[in-house]
Amino acid sequence: MAETEQLPVQPAREGNPAAWDALFRRYQLPLYVYVFDLLRDEHTSLDVVQETFIAAIRHIGGLRDNAKFGSWLFSIAHQKCVQSWRKPKEILLDEIPDSPDDLEDSPGELLVRREDEAEFMNLLNQLPQPQRSVLLLHYIEDFSLEEISGITATPLGTVKSRLHYARKLLRKLLEENK
Amino acid sequence: MKTPREILFERHRAAVPKLNKLRRETVDAEFPRRSSSVALLNWPALLWRELIWPCRRVWMGLAAVWILIVAANFSLRDNSQTAITESSSPEEIVTAWKQQQQLLTELIGPNETKAGLPAKRFSPQPSGRRQVEVSVT
Repeated sequence: MAETEQLPVQPAREGNPAAWDALFRRYQLPLYVYVFDLLRDEHTSLDVVQETFIAAIRHIGGLRDNAKFGSWLFSIAHQKCVQSWRKPKEILLDEIPDSPDDLEDSPGELLVRREDEAEFMNLLNQLPQPQRSVLLLHYIEDFSLEEISGITATPLGTVKSRLHYARKLLRKLLEENK
Repeated sequence: MKTPREILFERHRAAVPKLNKLRRETVDAEFPRRSSSVALLNWPALLWRELIWPCRRVWMGLAAVWILIVAANFSLRDNSQTAITESSSPEEIVTAWKQQQQLLTELIGPNETKAGLPAKRFSPQPSGRRQVEVSVT
């Protein structure tokens, strides 16, 4: 990705706070979207994003290739989510909260967008969790199969098949809806 | 038409202010500003975090070694003090000193050192004059 090459990873390695701020600003929303999809709880998701940021600052020495910063950050977040699943919790996994930005925009815009969003999100949420994770990583950051394999700690073949079946299932659901 | 990325991001757009706050807090906490007043106020914490905590095992090892040294020092000092207090009174010390003096005079002879050597007069001279004498000789 050309965008990744312009990221200030090297200054961040050297301990520049402004560089870290820029990096986190770039990745905060994609990370949150991914983590929220895995955890389905706003508070826990924010906690996990913050823990990911802290871990990134403290363990930047473990990143071998600056160009892989994005996938490295997502892999930390993924690990944190897995750790969070293992903890006893009160989150209901079936609970899908309403869109939090419903009240922000003008009614005209909102109607059009809500329609698109609701359709897409409903279809996405019908996918099994492992397939949805792979698809989200593909959609959110356009990660390669190798990168997704690294992030989710899943064999490359499994990632390929998951992405294939997720796309196929999404296409089928879209056709059924039309 | 919107891309899936756009739809996903729009759905969570309301979280952005919270994420901004969280991001600033994290960066501020991990990289405390080094303004002079704050640095002066927080120097013990800074010292602890930067110097002591990263090498805590080394510092603990050094502290243990110092404790051992101090303990050994105290125990030795106690022993020597008790030995002195137990073995000698002032009279005994004076007697022993007199005996040593007597032995010394028997070996060397009385005032031998003073008698054997000629008395040396001390006559301070200006440095310039001394230089002249040296050059003449």
